[in-house]
Amino acid sequence: MIERMRGSWRSRQRTPWARLAPFVALAALAAAVVLPNLTPPLSLANPDRTSVTDFRAAVAALPAEPLVLVAFDADFGTYPEISYVTRSVLADLLGRGASLAFVSYSPEGRALAVAELDRLHRDGTPEDRLLDLGYRSGVEAALVLSVTSVVPDAATGALAQRVRAAGGGIDAFNAALVVGGTDLGPRAWVEQVSTRVPELPILAVAPTFLRPELEPYVHSGQLTALLGTLRDGVAYGAASDTPSGRPPSALAMLIGMLIGLGVLLEASGGGAFGRLRAFGSRGRQ
Amino acid sequence: MRRSLPTALLVIVGLLLLADFVIVNPSLAALAGVLLEYIVLLAAAAAITGGLALALRHIDQLRHADAERSGSVLVLLGMAAMLLAGFYPGSTGAADPLMRWLVAALLVPLVASLFAMLFFFLLSAARRGVRLRSRETTVMLLAASVVLVLLLPLGGSLGELLAAAAGWALAVPIGGVFRGLLIGVAIATAIAAARVLLAVDGAADD
Repeated sequence: MIERMRGSWRSRQRTPWARLAPFVALAALAAAVVLPNLTPPLSLANPDRTSVTDFRAAVAALPAEPLVLVAFDADFGTYPEISYVTRSVLADLLGRGASLAFVSYSPEGRALAVAELDRLHRDGTPEDRLLDLGYRSGVEAALVLSVTSVVPDAATGALAQRVRAAGGGIDAFNAALVVGGTDLGPRAWVEQVSTRVPELPILAVAPTFLRPELEPYVHSGQLTALLGTLRDGVAYGAASDTPSGRPPSALAMLIGMLIGLGVLLEASGGGAFGRLRAFGSRGRQ
Repeated sequence: MRRSLPTALLVIVGLLLLADFVIVNPSLAALAGVLLEYIVLLAAAAAITGGLALALRHIDQLRHADAERSGSVLVLLGMAAMLLAGFYPGSTGAADPLMRWLVAALLVPLVASLFAMLFFFLLSAARRGVRLRSRETTVMLLAASVVLVLLLPLGGSLGELLAAAAGWALAVPIGGVFRGLLIGVAIATAIAAARVLLAVDGAADD
Protein backbone atom coordinates (compact mmCIF):
# COMPACT_ATOMS: atom_id res chain seq x y z
CA MET A 1 0.00 0.00 0.00
CA ILE A 2 2.84 2.35 0.85
CA GLU A 3 4.42 1.70 -2.56
CA ARG A 4 1.10 2.46 -4.22
CA MET A 5 0.88 5.68 -2.22
CA ARG A 6 4.41 6.65 -3.20
CA GLY A 7 3.61 6.02 -6.86
CA SER A 8 0.46 8.06 -6.61
CA TRP A 9 2.37 10.84 -4.87
CA ARG A 10 5.06 10.90 -7.55
CA SER A 11 2.51 10.96 -10.37
CA ARG A 12 0.73 13.84 -8.70
CA GLN A 13 4.00 15.69 -8.23
CA ARG A 14 4.61 15.56 -11.94
CA THR A 15 1.55 17.69 -12.75
CA PRO A 16 2.35 21.39 -13.08
CA TRP A 17 -0.42 22.37 -10.68
CA ALA A 18 0.90 20.11 -7.95
CA ARG A 19 4.33 21.66 -8.36
CA LEU A 20 3.01 25.21 -8.32
CA ALA A 21 0.36 24.82 -5.62
CA PRO A 22 2.63 25.29 -2.57
CA PHE A 23 4.16 28.42 -4.07
CA VAL A 24 0.76 29.83 -5.00
CA ALA A 25 -0.45 29.14 -1.46
CA LEU A 26 2.63 30.78 0.02
CA ALA A 27 2.29 33.82 -2.26
CA ALA A 28 -1.40 34.18 -1.40
CA LEU A 29 -0.61 34.00 2.32
CA ALA A 30 2.22 36.52 2.00
CA ALA A 31 0.04 38.91 0.00
CA ALA A 32 -2.79 38.59 2.51
CA VAL A 33 -0.45 39.40 5.40
CA VAL A 34 1.05 42.42 3.64
CA LEU A 35 -2.24 43.80 2.27
CA PRO A 36 -4.06 46.22 4.55
CA ASN A 37 -7.19 44.93 6.25
CA LEU A 38 -9.61 46.14 3.58
CA THR A 39 -11.93 43.21 3.83
CA PRO A 40 -15.08 44.21 5.73
CA PRO A 41 -16.85 40.81 5.40
CA LEU A 42 -13.88 39.20 7.14
CA SER A 43 -13.44 39.72 10.83
CA LEU A 44 -12.91 37.76 13.99
CA ALA A 45 -16.40 37.90 15.44
CA ASN A 46 -16.55 37.81 19.23
CA PRO A 47 -20.08 37.76 20.62
CA ASP A 48 -18.90 37.08 24.18
CA ARG A 49 -17.07 40.19 25.39
CA THR A 50 -16.89 39.18 29.06
CA SER A 51 -13.13 38.54 29.08
CA VAL A 52 -12.38 41.83 27.32
CA THR A 53 -14.66 43.81 29.62
CA ASP A 54 -13.19 42.18 32.74
CA PHE A 55 -9.61 42.75 31.57
CA ARG A 56 -10.26 46.40 30.78
CA ALA A 57 -11.92 46.82 34.18
CA ALA A 58 -8.91 45.23 35.90
CA VAL A 59 -6.51 47.59 34.09
CA ALA A 60 -8.72 50.57 34.91
CA ALA A 61 -8.79 49.55 38.59
CA LEU A 62 -5.01 49.92 38.92
CA PRO A 63 -3.81 53.03 40.79
CA ALA A 64 -2.42 56.03 38.92
CA GLU A 65 1.05 55.43 37.43
CA PRO A 66 1.16 51.83 38.62
CA LEU A 67 4.22 49.64 38.88
CA VAL A 68 3.53 46.51 36.85
CA LEU A 69 5.66 43.37 36.73
CA VAL A 70 5.53 41.81 33.26
CA ALA A 71 6.33 38.12 33.56
CA PHE A 72 7.22 37.35 29.98
CA ASP A 73 7.28 33.60 29.43
CA ALA A 74 5.70 33.21 26.04
CA ASP A 75 7.14 30.64 23.65
CA PHE A 76 8.02 30.88 19.99
CA GLY A 77 5.33 28.43 18.91
CA THR A 78 2.36 30.25 20.40
CA TYR A 79 3.56 33.85 20.69
CA PRO A 80 2.30 34.85 17.21
CA GLU A 81 -1.21 34.15 18.50
CA ILE A 82 -0.88 36.50 21.48
CA SER A 83 1.65 39.05 20.25
CA TYR A 84 -1.01 41.53 19.10
CA VAL A 85 -2.94 41.44 22.36
CA THR A 86 0.27 41.52 24.44
CA ARG A 87 1.38 44.68 22.63
CA SER A 88 -2.11 46.15 23.05
CA VAL A 89 -2.06 45.52 26.80
CA LEU A 90 1.48 46.93 27.16
CA ALA A 91 0.44 50.03 25.18
CA ASP A 92 -2.67 50.36 27.32
CA LEU A 93 -0.66 50.16 30.54
CA LEU A 94 1.93 52.64 29.29
CA GLY A 95 -0.89 54.92 28.17
CA ARG A 96 -2.12 54.92 31.78
CA GLY A 97 1.29 55.99 33.05
CA ALA A 98 2.44 52.55 34.19
CA SER A 99 6.09 51.62 34.68
CA LEU A 100 6.90 48.13 33.44
CA ALA A 101 9.50 45.72 34.80
CA PHE A 102 10.17 42.68 32.61
CA VAL A 103 11.28 39.35 34.03
CA SER A 104 11.45 35.89 32.43
CA TYR A 105 11.73 32.41 33.87
CA SER A 106 12.16 30.56 30.57
CA PRO A 107 14.88 31.05 27.91
CA GLU A 108 12.36 31.45 25.09
CA GLY A 109 10.43 33.96 27.14
CA ARG A 110 13.63 35.89 27.74
CA ALA A 111 14.41 36.05 24.02
CA LEU A 112 10.91 37.31 23.24
CA ALA A 113 11.05 39.77 26.14
CA VAL A 114 14.29 41.22 24.78
CA ALA A 115 12.63 41.68 21.38
CA GLU A 116 9.60 43.37 22.96
CA LEU A 117 11.77 45.63 25.12
CA ASP A 118 13.70 46.65 22.02
CA ARG A 119 10.44 47.42 20.22
CA LEU A 120 9.24 49.55 23.14
CA HIS A 121 12.55 51.44 23.19
CA ARG A 122 12.32 52.02 19.43
CA ASP A 123 8.75 53.27 19.81
CA GLY A 124 10.02 55.96 22.17
CA THR A 125 8.95 54.64 25.56
CA PRO A 126 10.90 56.64 28.15
CA GLU A 127 13.85 54.72 29.64
CA ASP A 128 12.76 55.47 33.18
CA ARG A 129 9.50 53.60 32.68
CA LEU A 130 11.06 50.32 31.58
CA LEU A 131 13.14 48.00 33.71
CA ASP A 132 14.78 44.80 32.53
CA LEU A 133 14.97 42.34 35.42
CA GLY A 134 16.44 39.71 33.09
CA TYR A 135 16.21 35.94 33.10
CA ARG A 136 15.92 33.91 36.28
CA SER A 137 16.96 30.29 35.96
CA GLY A 138 15.23 27.63 38.03
CA VAL A 139 11.68 27.99 36.68
CA GLU A 140 9.23 27.60 39.61
CA ALA A 141 11.96 27.65 42.28
CA ALA A 142 13.12 30.99 40.86
CA LEU A 143 9.52 32.19 40.82
CA VAL A 144 9.19 31.42 44.53
CA LEU A 145 12.48 33.21 45.28
CA SER A 146 11.23 36.23 43.33
CA VAL A 147 8.42 36.69 45.82
CA THR A 148 10.95 38.15 48.24
CA SER A 149 13.64 39.36 45.81
CA VAL A 150 13.11 40.04 42.13
CA VAL A 151 15.55 42.89 41.42
CA PRO A 152 19.07 41.72 40.51
CA ASP A 153 22.02 43.53 42.11
CA ALA A 154 23.15 44.76 38.69
CA ALA A 155 19.87 46.57 38.02
CA THR A 156 20.26 50.35 38.19
CA GLY A 157 18.06 53.37 37.63
CA ALA A 158 15.18 55.10 39.30
CA LEU A 159 12.72 52.31 38.63
CA ALA A 160 14.99 49.66 40.15
CA GLN A 161 15.42 51.89 43.21
CA ARG A 162 11.66 52.37 43.43
CA VAL A 163 11.12 48.58 43.50
CA ARG A 164 13.92 48.08 46.04
CA ALA A 165 12.47 50.82 48.23
CA ALA A 166 9.14 49.00 48.19
CA GLY A 167 10.75 45.79 49.42
CA GLY A 168 12.35 44.40 46.27
CA GLY A 169 9.97 41.47 45.91
CA ILE A 170 6.91 40.78 43.81
CA ASP A 171 4.71 42.41 46.42
CA ALA A 172 6.38 45.73 45.56
CA PHE A 173 4.30 45.82 42.39
CA ASN A 174 0.72 46.97 41.95
CA ALA A 175 -0.03 44.11 39.55
CA ALA A 176 1.56 41.32 37.55
CA LEU A 177 0.90 40.84 33.86
CA VAL A 178 1.70 37.22 33.04
CA VAL A 179 2.33 36.49 29.37
CA GLY A 180 2.18 32.71 29.33
CA GLY A 181 3.39 29.91 27.12
CA THR A 182 4.10 26.21 27.23
CA ASP A 183 7.04 26.39 29.65
CA LEU A 184 5.62 28.55 32.38
CA GLY A 185 2.19 30.08 32.46
CA PRO A 186 -0.37 31.80 34.66
CA ARG A 187 -1.11 28.50 36.44
CA ALA A 188 2.37 28.48 38.00
CA TRP A 189 1.78 32.07 39.10
CA VAL A 190 -1.49 31.14 40.77
CA GLU A 191 0.12 28.15 42.49
CA GLN A 192 3.39 29.76 43.57
CA VAL A 193 2.74 33.51 43.83
CA SER A 194 -0.98 33.92 44.52
CA THR A 195 -0.66 31.73 47.59
CA ARG A 196 2.21 33.86 48.93
CA VAL A 197 1.05 37.31 47.78
CA PRO A 198 -2.74 36.95 47.67
CA GLU A 199 -3.39 40.68 47.35
CA LEU A 200 -1.48 40.98 44.05
CA PRO A 201 -3.80 41.25 41.03
CA ILE A 202 -2.65 38.84 38.31
CA LEU A 203 -3.65 39.70 34.76
CA ALA A 204 -2.93 36.99 32.23
CA VAL A 205 -2.49 36.77 28.49
CA ALA A 206 -2.27 33.20 27.22
CA PRO A 207 -2.70 31.21 24.02
CA THR A 208 -5.98 29.42 23.39
CA PHE A 209 -4.74 25.97 24.36
CA LEU A 210 -4.15 27.16 27.95
CA ARG A 211 -7.63 28.60 28.35
CA PRO A 212 -9.38 25.41 29.55
CA GLU A 213 -6.91 25.05 32.44
CA LEU A 214 -7.00 28.75 33.33
CA GLU A 215 -10.74 29.38 33.17
CA PRO A 216 -11.43 27.90 36.66
CA TYR A 217 -8.81 30.26 38.18
CA VAL A 218 -10.64 33.22 36.63
CA HIS A 219 -13.95 32.05 38.07
CA SER A 220 -12.37 31.50 41.50
CA GLY A 221 -10.84 34.99 41.44
CA GLN A 222 -7.24 33.74 41.67
CA LEU A 223 -6.65 35.22 38.24
CA THR A 224 -8.00 38.74 38.10
CA ALA A 225 -8.50 38.73 34.33
CA LEU A 226 -7.58 36.59 31.35
CA LEU A 227 -7.34 37.15 27.62
CA GLY A 228 -7.09 33.61 26.33
CA THR A 229 -8.21 33.43 22.71
CA LEU A 230 -7.28 35.19 19.51
CA ARG A 231 -10.83 36.55 19.28
CA ASP A 232 -10.52 38.08 22.77
CA GLY A 233 -7.14 39.53 21.85
CA VAL A 234 -8.37 41.16 18.67
CA ALA A 235 -11.46 42.49 20.45
CA TYR A 236 -9.27 43.92 23.24
CA GLY A 237 -6.97 45.61 20.72
CA ALA A 238 -9.92 47.04 18.81
CA ALA A 239 -11.41 48.49 22.01
CA SER A 240 -8.07 49.87 23.19
CA ASP A 241 -7.52 53.63 23.36
CA THR A 242 -3.87 53.29 22.39
CA PRO A 243 -3.19 51.77 18.94
CA SER A 244 -0.47 49.13 18.93
CA GLY A 245 0.12 48.03 15.37
CA ARG A 246 -1.96 46.09 12.94
CA PRO A 247 -4.26 43.33 14.10
CA PRO A 248 -3.72 39.88 12.58
CA SER A 249 -4.92 39.64 8.99
CA ALA A 250 -8.31 37.94 8.83
CA LEU A 251 -7.78 37.35 5.11
CA ALA A 252 -4.50 35.49 5.76
CA MET A 253 -6.23 33.40 8.42
CA LEU A 254 -9.07 32.60 6.05
CA ILE A 255 -6.69 31.63 3.24
CA GLY A 256 -4.63 29.45 5.61
CA MET A 257 -7.71 27.69 6.94
CA LEU A 258 -9.13 27.14 3.44
CA ILE A 259 -5.78 25.74 2.31
CA GLY A 260 -5.86 23.39 5.29
CA LEU A 261 -9.38 22.23 4.52
CA GLY A 262 -8.55 21.93 0.81
CA VAL A 263 -5.49 19.79 1.45
CA LEU A 264 -7.44 17.50 3.77
CA LEU A 265 -10.22 17.09 1.19
CA GLU A 266 -7.71 16.52 -1.61
CA ALA A 267 -5.82 13.96 0.45
CA SER A 268 -9.03 12.07 1.03
CA GLY A 269 -8.98 11.42 -2.73
CA GLY A 270 -12.01 13.60 -3.43
CA GLY A 271 -14.13 10.91 -1.86
CA ALA A 272 -14.29 12.00 1.74
CA PHE A 273 -17.86 10.89 2.08
CA GLY A 274 -17.05 7.48 0.58
CA ARG A 275 -14.21 7.21 3.08
CA LEU A 276 -16.60 8.02 5.89
CA ARG A 277 -19.00 5.34 4.66
CA ALA A 278 -16.12 2.83 4.45
CA PHE A 279 -15.00 3.89 7.92
CA GLY A 280 -18.52 3.31 9.24
CA SER A 281 -18.82 -0.11 7.63
CA ARG A 282 -15.38 -1.15 8.96
CA GLY A 283 -16.44 -0.02 12.40
CA ARG A 284 -19.52 -2.25 12.27
CA GLN A 285 -17.55 -5.33 11.19
CA MET B 1 11.84 -0.71 51.31
CA ARG B 2 15.23 0.43 50.11
CA ARG B 3 16.81 3.40 51.82
CA SER B 4 19.51 5.50 50.28
CA LEU B 5 21.08 8.91 50.71
CA PRO B 6 19.33 10.44 47.68
CA THR B 7 15.98 9.16 48.95
CA ALA B 8 16.60 10.59 52.40
CA LEU B 9 17.62 13.92 50.87
CA LEU B 10 14.52 13.99 48.69
CA VAL B 11 12.25 13.25 51.61
CA ILE B 12 13.81 15.91 53.82
CA VAL B 13 13.86 18.60 51.12
CA GLY B 14 10.34 17.77 49.96
CA LEU B 15 8.89 17.85 53.46
CA LEU B 16 10.69 21.09 54.32
CA LEU B 17 9.36 22.83 51.20
CA LEU B 18 5.89 21.47 51.86
CA ALA B 19 6.03 22.66 55.47
CA ASP B 20 7.14 26.11 54.32
CA PHE B 21 4.16 26.22 52.00
CA VAL B 22 1.63 25.66 54.80
CA ILE B 23 3.35 27.08 57.92
CA VAL B 24 4.31 30.75 58.32
CA ASN B 25 7.62 30.66 60.17
CA PRO B 26 10.61 32.94 59.45
CA SER B 27 13.26 30.28 60.25
CA LEU B 28 11.53 27.71 58.08
CA ALA B 29 11.16 30.30 55.31
CA ALA B 30 14.88 31.11 55.49
CA LEU B 31 15.78 27.41 55.29
CA ALA B 32 13.39 26.87 52.37
CA GLY B 33 14.94 29.91 50.67
CA VAL B 34 18.41 28.36 50.92
CA LEU B 35 17.10 25.09 49.49
CA LEU B 36 15.41 26.93 46.64
CA GLU B 37 18.68 28.70 45.87
CA TYR B 38 20.38 25.31 45.67
CA ILE B 39 17.65 24.16 43.25
CA VAL B 40 18.24 27.26 41.11
CA LEU B 41 21.99 26.60 41.13
CA LEU B 42 21.38 22.98 40.15
CA ALA B 43 19.15 24.12 37.27
CA ALA B 44 21.86 26.54 36.10
CA ALA B 45 24.47 23.78 36.33
CA ALA B 46 22.23 21.46 34.32
CA ALA B 47 21.82 24.15 31.65
CA ILE B 48 25.59 24.69 31.40
CA THR B 49 26.16 20.93 31.24
CA GLY B 50 23.57 20.67 28.48
CA GLY B 51 25.28 23.44 26.52
CA LEU B 52 28.68 21.80 26.92
CA ALA B 53 27.32 18.40 25.89
CA LEU B 54 25.78 19.96 22.78
CA ALA B 55 29.05 21.67 21.85
CA LEU B 56 31.07 18.48 22.41
CA ARG B 57 28.65 16.43 20.34
CA HIS B 58 28.92 18.83 17.40
CA ILE B 59 32.70 19.10 17.71
CA ASP B 60 32.76 15.30 17.59
CA GLN B 61 30.55 15.32 14.49
CA LEU B 62 33.00 17.64 12.73
CA ARG B 63 35.63 14.92 13.02
CA HIS B 64 33.54 12.37 11.12
CA ALA B 65 33.53 12.60 7.34
CA ASP B 66 30.09 11.04 6.94
CA ALA B 67 28.37 13.36 9.44
CA GLU B 68 26.24 16.39 8.60
CA ARG B 69 28.96 18.98 9.10
CA SER B 70 27.24 22.15 7.95
CA GLY B 71 24.65 21.93 10.73
CA SER B 72 27.33 21.39 13.34
CA VAL B 73 29.33 24.36 12.05
CA LEU B 74 26.24 26.57 12.26
CA VAL B 75 25.46 25.43 15.81
CA LEU B 76 29.03 26.03 16.97
CA LEU B 77 29.22 29.41 15.24
CA GLY B 78 25.95 30.44 16.85
CA MET B 79 27.15 29.40 20.28
CA ALA B 80 30.46 31.19 19.75
CA ALA B 81 28.70 34.38 18.65
CA MET B 82 26.50 34.39 21.74
CA LEU B 83 29.42 33.64 24.06
CA LEU B 84 31.55 36.37 22.48
CA ALA B 85 28.72 38.89 22.80
CA GLY B 86 28.33 38.02 26.45
CA PHE B 87 32.00 37.77 27.44
CA TYR B 88 34.02 40.23 25.31
CA PRO B 89 36.04 42.72 27.41
CA GLY B 90 33.68 45.43 28.58
CA SER B 91 30.54 43.42 27.86
CA THR B 92 27.65 43.82 30.27
CA GLY B 93 26.64 40.19 29.82
CA ALA B 94 23.06 39.30 28.96
CA ALA B 95 22.09 42.99 28.94
CA ASP B 96 24.82 43.94 26.47
CA PRO B 97 23.49 45.74 23.36
CA LEU B 98 25.28 43.29 21.05
CA MET B 99 23.71 40.34 22.83
CA ARG B 100 20.29 42.02 22.70
CA TRP B 101 20.75 42.68 18.98
CA LEU B 102 21.70 39.07 18.33
CA VAL B 103 18.61 37.89 20.16
CA ALA B 104 16.09 40.46 18.87
CA ALA B 105 17.32 40.77 15.28
CA LEU B 106 18.58 37.25 14.57
CA LEU B 107 17.41 34.60 17.00
CA VAL B 108 13.77 35.66 17.35
CA PRO B 109 13.05 36.13 13.60
CA LEU B 110 14.89 32.89 12.76
CA VAL B 111 12.96 30.80 15.24
CA ALA B 112 9.71 32.56 14.32
CA SER B 113 10.33 31.61 10.66
CA LEU B 114 10.96 28.04 11.70
CA PHE B 115 7.69 27.90 13.59
CA ALA B 116 5.85 29.57 10.70
CA MET B 117 6.76 26.51 8.64
CA LEU B 118 4.93 24.35 11.16
CA PHE B 119 1.72 25.06 9.27
CA PHE B 120 3.11 23.45 6.13
CA PHE B 121 4.72 20.55 8.00
CA LEU B 122 1.44 19.86 9.80
CA LEU B 123 -0.48 19.97 6.53
CA SER B 124 1.99 17.60 4.94
CA ALA B 125 1.76 15.23 7.91
CA ALA B 126 -2.03 15.41 7.88
CA ARG B 127 -2.08 14.70 4.14
CA ARG B 128 0.01 11.60 4.59
CA GLY B 129 -2.05 10.59 7.61
CA VAL B 130 -5.26 10.72 5.60
CA ARG B 131 -3.66 8.62 2.85
CA LEU B 132 -2.73 5.94 5.37
CA ARG B 133 -6.48 5.58 6.07
CA SER B 134 -6.08 4.86 9.76
CA ARG B 135 -9.20 5.25 11.84
CA GLU B 136 -7.54 7.36 14.53
CA THR B 137 -6.07 9.79 12.01
CA THR B 138 -9.42 10.13 10.27
CA VAL B 139 -11.18 10.97 13.53
CA MET B 140 -8.46 13.43 14.53
CA LEU B 141 -8.50 15.18 11.19
CA LEU B 142 -12.28 15.32 11.09
CA ALA B 143 -12.20 17.04 14.49
CA ALA B 144 -9.49 19.40 13.19
CA SER B 145 -11.62 20.21 10.15
CA VAL B 146 -14.63 21.01 12.34
CA VAL B 147 -12.49 23.31 14.51
CA LEU B 148 -11.08 24.98 11.38
CA VAL B 149 -14.61 25.70 10.15
CA LEU B 150 -15.62 27.06 13.57
CA LEU B 151 -12.59 29.37 13.60
CA LEU B 152 -13.17 30.83 10.13
CA PRO B 153 -12.84 34.61 10.46
CA LEU B 154 -16.17 35.61 8.97
CA GLY B 155 -18.18 38.70 9.83
CA GLY B 156 -21.93 39.13 10.16
CA SER B 157 -24.40 36.81 11.76
CA LEU B 158 -22.72 33.69 10.32
CA GLY B 159 -19.43 34.75 11.93
CA GLU B 160 -21.16 35.37 15.27
CA LEU B 161 -22.79 31.95 15.06
CA LEU B 162 -19.46 30.25 14.32
CA ALA B 163 -17.75 32.21 17.11
CA ALA B 164 -20.42 31.22 19.60
CA ALA B 165 -20.10 27.58 18.53
CA ALA B 166 -16.30 27.80 18.84
CA GLY B 167 -16.65 29.29 22.32
CA TRP B 168 -19.03 26.50 23.32
CA ALA B 169 -16.66 23.84 21.93
CA LEU B 170 -13.76 25.34 23.87
CA ALA B 171 -15.71 25.69 27.12
CA VAL B 172 -17.65 22.41 27.11
CA PRO B 173 -16.21 19.39 25.24
CA ILE B 174 -12.60 20.56 24.88
CA GLY B 175 -12.58 22.15 28.34
CA GLY B 176 -14.09 19.03 29.91
CA VAL B 177 -11.58 16.67 28.30
CA PHE B 178 -8.67 18.98 29.07
CA ARG B 179 -9.63 19.40 32.72
CA GLY B 180 -10.22 15.67 33.10
CA LEU B 181 -6.74 15.14 31.74
CA LEU B 182 -5.30 17.73 34.12
CA ILE B 183 -7.05 16.23 37.12
CA GLY B 184 -5.73 12.79 36.15
CA VAL B 185 -2.20 14.14 35.76
CA ALA B 186 -2.48 15.99 39.09
CA ILE B 187 -3.63 12.85 40.92
CA ALA B 188 -0.84 10.79 39.34
CA THR B 189 1.71 13.49 40.24
CA ALA B 190 0.42 13.68 43.82
CA ILE B 191 0.69 9.90 44.16
CA ALA B 192 4.21 9.90 42.70
CA ALA B 193 5.21 12.78 45.01
CA ALA B 194 3.76 11.00 48.04
CA ARG B 195 5.62 7.83 47.09
CA VAL B 196 8.87 9.79 46.86
CA LEU B 197 8.24 11.68 50.12
CA LEU B 198 7.36 8.52 51.97
CA ALA B 199 10.18 6.57 50.29
CA VAL B 200 7.70 3.89 49.28
CA ASP B 201 9.04 1.05 47.08
CA GLY B 202 12.24 2.94 46.35
CA ALA B 203 10.27 5.36 44.14
CA ALA B 204 13.05 7.92 44.39
CA ASP B 205 15.55 5.39 43.07
CA ASP B 206 13.57 4.84 39.85
